[in-house]
Amino acid sequence: MKSIKIITALAAALALVACADFLDRESQSILSDEEIFSDQNMVNSVLANYYGRVNWGQHLEARGEYQALDEGTRSSGGRETWSDYSNEHWRVYDYTLIRHINQFLQSVRSDAAASLAPAYRKQIEGEARFLRAWTYFNMCRCMGGMPIVGDEVFAYTGGMDITALRYARSTEAALYDYIIDECGAIAAMLPDERTQNAARANKWAALALKARAAVYAASNARYGQTTPEVKTAGGEVGIPAAKAPEYYRTALETCREIIDGGRYLLYDENPDRGANFYEALAKKGNSEVIWARDYIYPGNAHGFSNGMISTTMRGDIDANDITPTLNLVEAFERVNSRDGTLHTWDDAANDYVYYDRPEDLFADKDPRLYGTVVYPGSDFNGVPITYQAGQKYRDAGEWRERARSAREGDTKDEDDDLITSENGPDRGDDQYVNNSGFNLRKFVDYNRDASTRGRGSDMWFVRMRYAEVLMIAAEAALELGRQQSEVCGYINQIRARAGISALSSTTLDDIVRERQVEFAYENHRWWDLRRLRRAHIVWNGNEGPASLAAQNSNDYASAHYALFPYRIKDPAHPQNGKWVFDKLRSTWTCERPHRFQLRNYYNFINQDWINNNPKYVKNPYQ
Amino acid sequence: MKTTLHNATFAALVILVAASCGIDNYEKPASRFSGRVTHNGQPIGVSGIDRQNFLQFWQDGYELRTEINCHLTQDGSYSAMLFDGDYKLVMNNNRGPWVNRPDTVAVAVNGNTVKNYEVTPYYMLSNIAYTVSGKTLSATVTIAEITAGRPVETLALMINKTAFVDNQSSGHLGDAGWTRQSDVAPGTRSLSLDLSGQTAKTLYARVGIKISGIDQWQFDPQVYEIKN
Repeated sequence: MKSIKIITALAAALALVACADFLDRESQSILSDEEIFSDQNMVNSVLANYYGRVNWGQHLEARGEYQALDEGTRSSGGRETWSDYSNEHWRVYDYTLIRHINQFLQSVRSDAAASLAPAYRKQIEGEARFLRAWTYFNMCRCMGGMPIVGDEVFAYTGGMDITALRYARSTEAALYDYIIDECGAIAAMLPDERTQNAARANKWAALALKARAAVYAASNARYGQTTPEVKTAGGEVGIPAAKAPEYYRTALETCREIIDGGRYLLYDENPDRGANFYEALAKKGNSEVIWARDYIYPGNAHGFSNGMISTTMRGDIDANDITPTLNLVEAFERVNSRDGTLHTWDDAANDYVYYDRPEDLFADKDPRLYGTVVYPGSDFNGVPITYQAGQKYRDAGEWRERARSAREGDTKDEDDDLITSENGPDRGDDQYVNNSGFNLRKFVDYNRDASTRGRGSDMWFVRMRYAEVLMIAAEAALELGRQQSEVCGYINQIRARAGISALSSTTLDDIVRERQVEFAYENHRWWDLRRLRRAHIVWNGNEGPASLAAQNSNDYASAHYALFPYRIKDPAHPQNGKWVFDKLRSTWTCERPHRFQLRNYYNFINQDWINNNPKYVKNPYQ
Repeated sequence: MKTTLHNATFAALVILVAASCGIDNYEKPASRFSGRVTHNGQPIGVSGIDRQNFLQFWQDGYELRTEINCHLTQDGSYSAMLFDGDYKLVMNNNRGPWVNRPDTVAVAVNGNTVKNYEVTPYYMLSNIAYTVSGKTLSATVTIAEITAGRPVETLALMINKTAFVDNQSSGHLGDAGWTRQSDVAPGTRSLSLDLSGQTAKTLYARVGIKISGIDQWQFDPQVYEIKN
């Protein structure tokens, strides 16, 4: 009993003594401005946090998004069944990030950062403002004009009047102007040199964003006139057509500044054109890429290769998550012909076209096809990839086919001939099985370990590259009515690097198509077709024929198409052993055609935001 | 002993479950609001799937506002179960196949309420007749222009295996699910669709038009049933 009393007394004494400085301790997890802004490593880690928060739309950490357009389709597992794009599709609304950046700017301009080297201090301010401009740009292309809060860091204490904190939406033109002005100012603050793996923004990234914002504003102004319903009375959505020429001029001048700067070049180091194009997107730190989301293993890797890899090359169980469509493959031109249609059917003879080798179907295709897509008969890092849906033979005057599920791996017949390849394609709903007859190469790592779940890939995602600067220059020059020689001068640099014939005159259709193939899987197409008001025409929701003979699947971009290669196994047939191809409407990957409606040109404003800020006006169709 | 414990636990659970009911639940809304989208009393057919066309109910007097969407089915009718009260009714902006009507209709709901929503369409479809001869479905329709300024982009006759027939659902039958004419002038038109590839015992058909610059199609409010 006595001992209990002693223990209690001791405990009480301890508790009383401990209190004194226990409550006065410095926090171990909250760092003051002085602690952060006196140390470059600390500042860099804060900036790295912001750099990691600006991935939107299609990117390597969201591979499922690649099925949404006409570039990729859902192979692995069940089919995708939606039809209409949602009102929130790829919507960006991140004032939390803008507030954090503004807090950062407030601190970096305060005395807390006085000990930083002046050049470095200017650079990090520029980088933060660049990321803020990029965030505004992403919001603007989603929803039109949104509130511009400037450098203000809002403070709230309980019970205060919040009406002063409510900012109305700016007009779409004013927000683009703000982004363009900011980029101009930022360019003067950022270093001129290329940064390591293009991961940090420099002067040229700011200018590339300026050019992109200007051409987006210009095309919204000009082509917005073709959809007069898509605008709001206050100009939050819709830019007057009269403003288009000035924006195009800004875009062209900014592109000229980047081109004349000479810091970047189209990547052109491998004489094999196809491999060269793959390397342009895969070789880190090359001379073409202006700004990228970089990754590093170990520590910061993603599962893009893991999901996109072909069955033969997979490092794990996963494969064929999203695979390229025939639509994309046919959009690639031929070296000396603008017609990219794959000739699988001979109309005159009313018969298949027979090929000795599957790759012969793709002879003379734009070498960028090889750099972007693994197609039947091509290789992946030197390993030939076989796609075979089955065998065909004649029976009672009709073609019949022998096919197995690709889930079973390579299946052989009694003569040990291949029936169906492990790479498919087949029509099943099995997981990890190819359903379209292609795999992606762009952004997929040649390192086999990178396609495992555990390791992941550290392939970068290219956000801006020199080719885009040339394409913006070509588009702006065309829209400004400059000489065709000038317009073609820009676009032909890209075509020459690709290894296809030059154009002698360029139309907007040519530019759209060039962008479709050059920037496939780079998060451009959705935004391009929106700003040019073509999305509701291209993705009109119309169903296409169940199989295509000589037609181009790109005419049916609402519906996804697949290419099924078959080998003739019929000793009685003169073409025994040759290859034939079926172009099929792949309802087993994408059941319903995608439909882009006029309301999809601008995402909807959430009712919760309006409840919080009644000054917000709704977008068209809302 | 064990049984008693089980029984006691069970009894406690029953009491808990029974007691918690009734206290935190609201009465469900009991007043049915219904009606049709009409022009001069004539119904207008729309797409009935995927929540394409809807009316929105709003109610004032609360700090936060959330709309109640009331979707139109394919004969242009709608119904919603609501609490009694004063509502503001708006049509979804610029979406349906009629001249946009941005005004707000005040509606007092007190018990079951029937109220049609009158719109001015661009076109009315009338004298619609379907005939099947052999394996061919034919339809005639008179398209009358009510409001000028928007041409008919597409006129289509479409079929589906279910009674939901529109430009979206007919896609399930592929390209054979419809026949189309482009840039159609007002007047009486006829279309025919080959049914020979169809295996379903019963098919349903409708005609519809796509008006330029408007996403939503306009349809025959009635669906025609075909015994194949």
